[in-house]
Amino acid sequence: MTSHTGRLYALAFALVAFFLAWAVVAAHPWTTVARDKRLQALAAREAQLRQEAKLVNQVVAQRWAVYRSELQLRRAQIAAAKTRATQAAASYSASAAPASPSVRVVTLPPLTITRTS
Amino acid sequence: MIERRTFRAMGTEIELLVEADGAAGALEAAEGEFHRLEALLSRFREDSELSRLNRDGALAAGPDLRRVVELALAARERTGGRFDPTVHNALVAAGYDRTFEDIASESHVRCQAPDVALGDARVDGTRIELDPGVRLDLGGIGKGYAAERAAEILATAGPCLVNAGGDIAVRGGRWPVGVETAAEPLTLELSRGGLATSGRDRRRWRRNGRDLHHLIDPRTGEPAETDLLRVTVIAPDAVEAEIAATSLFLAGADRAAREADAAGVAAVLVTGDGRTIFAGGLARAA
Repeated sequence: MTSHTGRLYALAFALVAFFLAWAVVAAHPWTTVARDKRLQALAAREAQLRQEAKLVNQVVAQRWAVYRSELQLRRAQIAAAKTRATQAAASYSASAAPASPSVRVVTLPPLTITRTS
Repeated sequence: MIERRTFRAMGTEIELLVEADGAAGALEAAEGEFHRLEALLSRFREDSELSRLNRDGALAAGPDLRRVVELALAARERTGGRFDPTVHNALVAAGYDRTFEDIASESHVRCQAPDVALGDARVDGTRIELDPGVRLDLGGIGKGYAAERAAEILATAGPCLVNAGGDIAVRGGRWPVGVETAAEPLTLELSRGGLATSGRDRRRWRRNGRDLHHLIDPRTGEPAETDLLRVTVIAPDAVEAEIAATSLFLAGADRAAREADAAGVAAVLVTGDGRTIFAGGLARAA
């Protein structure tokens, strides 16, 4: 009797141990878990885009700085040209034309002729 | 070596002379200046600053139009109204309502009653304002101004002369300039300053058997009736010469000679009856 009961317990324990071992072996605990390839691709793409966005921002910032600098220069040139035009219009006779004309009658042939304008 | 360029602008023949080699750039720039100023100052161009001012009665104008209007208004004060830029309506009434090339090509010239309703114009900062109904004509003074501006540009290349249909600006050098007189041709040698000729021998047309011309007497609003045919004046610049020539022409021979002598303004007066009068210290060559 005792021996029969003991054998039953031993069989039950052996079965439990077998299935536990089976489950452990089936779980492949010695291998790493493989991630979804699509997620990996997405992650890589995201990283690439972040890098590209960073580069684009740097280029835009550089070009904006150049544009602002050239705009400032152009505005200064326009202002200077306007000032020159105003000064030229205002003072052409004072600065460039002589104070009194120089004329005398000669007997040379004329290079040009004045007529009623 | 003298380089020469001729072209048409402002309704007349323009001649640029410069005593320099390789002055193509300066000649190009000087010609460009004439076209630029014509686009601003012509009363025959719908889109010019002057036409917009005449149409709207007021305008925030650029420096060139402002300066020319200022010069013209100052000249009106100085000449007691003989030189007056507000004769535009009188010119149109007399039939000079389009370019002279167009007038010359038409047999019938539209004329209206003389217009003597002259008014005032003001330059206030960048703004020019005209009294109601007033319009400006800057034809003569505009050519003088353009000649001076072009001469200024051309002078960067060397001694030069700019002839804008009779309004002459000179910068350096010695330039023999022919002047039409009643008898033999006259040559004046100009080394600085300006020279202009005003008269009734050109830019004229007929209406009802009567000869009309472009020099309006502001007092009557009609083409001036004077015993002078033509006046040539030498002055510090072409603008002053143009103003003085117009003013002396309207004065008549005797008064013009007295005024020129008193002011020391060298002038050649040619009368309608064939006399040539030297005034303002100018003497005939021996």
